[in-house]
Amino acid sequence: MSADAFPFLATFAFGPESLAAAVTLPLIFLVACASPRFRKFGPIYLALAPIPALAASVLASDSAPLVLDQMIYPIVLVLDPPGALLLGVSALLWLSAGIYAAAYMREEFENGGFTGFWLATLIGNVGVFMAADVGSFYLFFAMVSLPAYGLLLTRSAAQDGSGGLYVAIALLGEAFLILAFAMLTSAAEDRSLLISDGVAALPASPWRDATIVLLIAGFGTKIGILPFHIWMPSTYRSAPIPAAAVLSGGAVNAGVIGLLRFIPWSQEIPVWGHALVTLGMFAAFYGVAIGLTQRNTKTILAYSSVSQMGLVAATLGAGLAVGNANAATGAALYAAHHGLAKGGLFLAAGVIAGCGSLRMRRLIPFAGLLALSLAGLPITGGAIAKLAIKEPLGSGLIGVLSNLSVIATTLLMLHFLWRVAETAEPHSETPGVGLIGPWLGVIAGSISIPTIYFFVIENQTVGKLDVYMLWETLWPVLIGALLYIATWRWGDRLPITPEGDVVVMVRPAAKLLSGACELIERPEFILRRWPVAGVALLVVATMLAGAGLLKP
Amino acid sequence: MISASLFLISTSAEESLLPVLIAAPVGVMLLSVLFGGRAAERIALAFMPIGVVLSAALAFVVWRNNQPLVYFIGGWAPPLGVAIRADGFSSVMLVTTALVISAAGLFARGDFGMTKDRTESRAHFGFWTLLLAIWAALDCVFVGWDFFSIYVALEMLTFAAVPLVCLKGQRETFIAAMRYLLFALLGSAFYLLGATLIYAAYGALDIGVLAQKLRSEPATWVALAAMTAGLLAKTALFPLHLWLPPAHAGAAPPASAILSALVVKGSFFVIVRLWLDLAPPQMGEAPAQILAVMGAAAVFAGSIIALRQERLKLMIAYSTVAQIGYLFLMFPLVVGQHAWSGAAWTGGALQAISHAFAKAAMFLSAGLIADILGHDRISGFRGLGRIAPQSVFIFALAGLSLMGLPPSGGFNAKWLLLAASVQSGQWVWALVMVIGGLLTAGYVYRVIAPALDPIEKPPFDAHPRAWRRRSAFALTLALAAILLGFAPPEFTNLLMVGAPTAKLERAE
Repeated sequence: MSADAFPFLATFAFGPESLAAAVTLPLIFLVACASPRFRKFGPIYLALAPIPALAASVLASDSAPLVLDQMIYPIVLVLDPPGALLLGVSALLWLSAGIYAAAYMREEFENGGFTGFWLATLIGNVGVFMAADVGSFYLFFAMVSLPAYGLLLTRSAAQDGSGGLYVAIALLGEAFLILAFAMLTSAAEDRSLLISDGVAALPASPWRDATIVLLIAGFGTKIGILPFHIWMPSTYRSAPIPAAAVLSGGAVNAGVIGLLRFIPWSQEIPVWGHALVTLGMFAAFYGVAIGLTQRNTKTILAYSSVSQMGLVAATLGAGLAVGNANAATGAALYAAHHGLAKGGLFLAAGVIAGCGSLRMRRLIPFAGLLALSLAGLPITGGAIAKLAIKEPLGSGLIGVLSNLSVIATTLLMLHFLWRVAETAEPHSETPGVGLIGPWLGVIAGSISIPTIYFFVIENQTVGKLDVYMLWETLWPVLIGALLYIATWRWGDRLPITPEGDVVVMVRPAAKLLSGACELIERPEFILRRWPVAGVALLVVATMLAGAGLLKP
Repeated sequence: MISASLFLISTSAEESLLPVLIAAPVGVMLLSVLFGGRAAERIALAFMPIGVVLSAALAFVVWRNNQPLVYFIGGWAPPLGVAIRADGFSSVMLVTTALVISAAGLFARGDFGMTKDRTESRAHFGFWTLLLAIWAALDCVFVGWDFFSIYVALEMLTFAAVPLVCLKGQRETFIAAMRYLLFALLGSAFYLLGATLIYAAYGALDIGVLAQKLRSEPATWVALAAMTAGLLAKTALFPLHLWLPPAHAGAAPPASAILSALVVKGSFFVIVRLWLDLAPPQMGEAPAQILAVMGAAAVFAGSIIALRQERLKLMIAYSTVAQIGYLFLMFPLVVGQHAWSGAAWTGGALQAISHAFAKAAMFLSAGLIADILGHDRISGFRGLGRIAPQSVFIFALAGLSLMGLPPSGGFNAKWLLLAASVQSGQWVWALVMVIGGLLTAGYVYRVIAPALDPIEKPPFDAHPRAWRRRSAFALTLALAAILLGFAPPEFTNLLMVGAPTAKLERAE
């Protein structure tokens, strides 16, 4: 990931150039989609577009920044190690899912729509990890959020209006963030637009608490902090498989990098640290509890994301409470592994749903590897990820809760495996290499990348991985598995909660709001009558004159 | 090449740019009245590149000199003579006017263009002549530096804009035009009353002269209040908007584009002159709050009513009511020459320009959509994106700028105004902007969502090829709104030339 770790990479001094290429190549393809002559190459664009980003994650980590200052707001792109890690896994996922999409949904490439929305989301996702100034961060964050709406409207998506909820929450997030960013830069020295300057000035900012709350809420919409998780289940279920994979594994990390970049982790802010821990730990169990009552495989995975992102939030919160900056690097590694594993599981759901039961038996162990990797099974990337967040979470109550959450995750993942095995049809064609190939690529990445990062980049020693540590990560998984087997037969008796759980409260609220709008609209007819308008004109004139005349 | 040759503009040529800028469209308009009929279109089309180049040259000179360009008509300085003046804001508004009118005019060739088989009609002749008249009037408003010239220019603007509303000759458009005319005239009466009072009290109408003399006394307050109320009536700031929705929604799409994008900005511009250029900061504070409260009400009421419209053009018209509201949020943030005043000034100016481009593009795309569907009921838009992807794309780009999402001029404007309201501690306006942005997103979504619906066979015919070229003009406007998001720092410098906050900025 870094030129320091692989000295031979230092000979390629292409840092800033590769950052530029990571955004530019998808942008060129995006423009090409406007022309009917070029849009037929859609599958090729999907496969090529993430490659510069993948290269940048290796070549440009900690390299010189790319500065474009010809605009009112200068653009600064730079890649720090956590950013490089998240960029690398996201690019790998986009690459695999792109190849998968080319085989999975051929009919979508006729008009440029699907390709265009895919590439726009990709640009946002890639850019968000590199943006070092508030303006371009906001731009990329909007791009990774809003164009994805188009992916929910493709023909292979379930047409159930879930896109509306997705867009609504995404826009709400943008609204929180622009307020937060305005406060952040207003408090920075010289009103600097660099994120690092804003964050440095944040602890002393007069609007510190409001800024932090808005930041957590804004990025919380992306990572699904309760109650902003309501969009996740329906969105992931209705999205086509490759889109669900990149949204759940790549786009979600835009929220993680946002938290990493904008909150001063080396500062001690106990109030908000404890708040994050509480919210996160609650979500970690809440996601599993609701997920166990779901039948749809993609919905189950969505609830697993709610739970896993809760764990990320809890880790960050534990760090913020005591000013432990290790929490941020640990959370980055955890989120990176989660991204690959979750993306791989979505692809698995697609691969297995399209294959016969015989073939399924051969593929399910691979899906099982990914699923239990999320729970931290030894020798998987997940074990490394758990190791990385162990120190920040500590060994107190939070540490115990995090061990319990592993048991819960194991339960949920076995539930998923059972449900996904059921989707295989007895007489179905075998999935082609176009589907299995990229999926296996993601699996390989999910094991190797966290391992390389942990031991090579972070310079952790193997000594840490002794037998005791193996046992430490194994026993919760074992207990979870035993618990699952013991309670397996009751699985069908669980009540089915509505997808998106508290989302059922949104509808009455929406009705109330629309009623309120009607109330506002009604006086409009009165205002537009002549006598009323005439009087209004007089009143306005009187008020303006009075403002001056009555002043002491 | 062009910039190199422009550097050679001599001082005398520079000075004569201003009167030429005003005289040219007036003269060309008279020509088109003289030759009439078929010639009107050709004359207007021929003038477009000239008008664009003239205004761009003026903006360039103002930017290069880094000070406002002033010209005394007949060589007589005020208070004896009449001055015209172009500062950064006015020169940018002049360029915007030239670009939007040109694009809308080129687009309008489909509606009002003469072909060999068409017979000359009142609508054809009227459209092109009125287009030039609006251009001339707006140019006069933006460079006017005394209240009587501005009065004449505003009257000319109203009398050119009202007939544009009813060119189609349907009954309801006549009613809408009459409402517009009567209310605008009421506004004129208020303005004239105020201007007369000012003249009676100070014996001067020149803004520069008055700014030296202005005292906080009853006559001044009554005069300024009457003028402002009159101008607000012409700007259609909530709750004085009764005429706007039927007028802007009823006109032909290119006419709607010009009315919504430019005409309402004319009177808004004069309010800026009144409270930010003329009135001293301590006088401007209380009225600025009142204006912003009305603006906030406009943002909420306009957006919410837009959300509930069934017809696309009415929805866009109510969106204009809301977006006008945004413009008035700049007053309490600029007034008083604080550290944040410069940002707020740039943001307000940028909001005026980017709304002009975005709204014009939106009305034109609505015109394209109505041509394809034969109606503009939003409920009938399912699958539109498959048939008319370009029109939907233009609408979405324009919507992006109106919502204030990056990259767009609308975003930069919102960002600057937000930062100013945070820094000044005036939180209310920040919340108004953010919530207004969400409501805007709501009504844009109502159009985009059904249009992107991937139904198998949309119930209407494919996009005819003939519309390609017309949609290119609408697309250009939408892209201009987006490109404003990438404006160079020099653009801010231009906007700050002669700005009411400039004195402070220089002192720092």
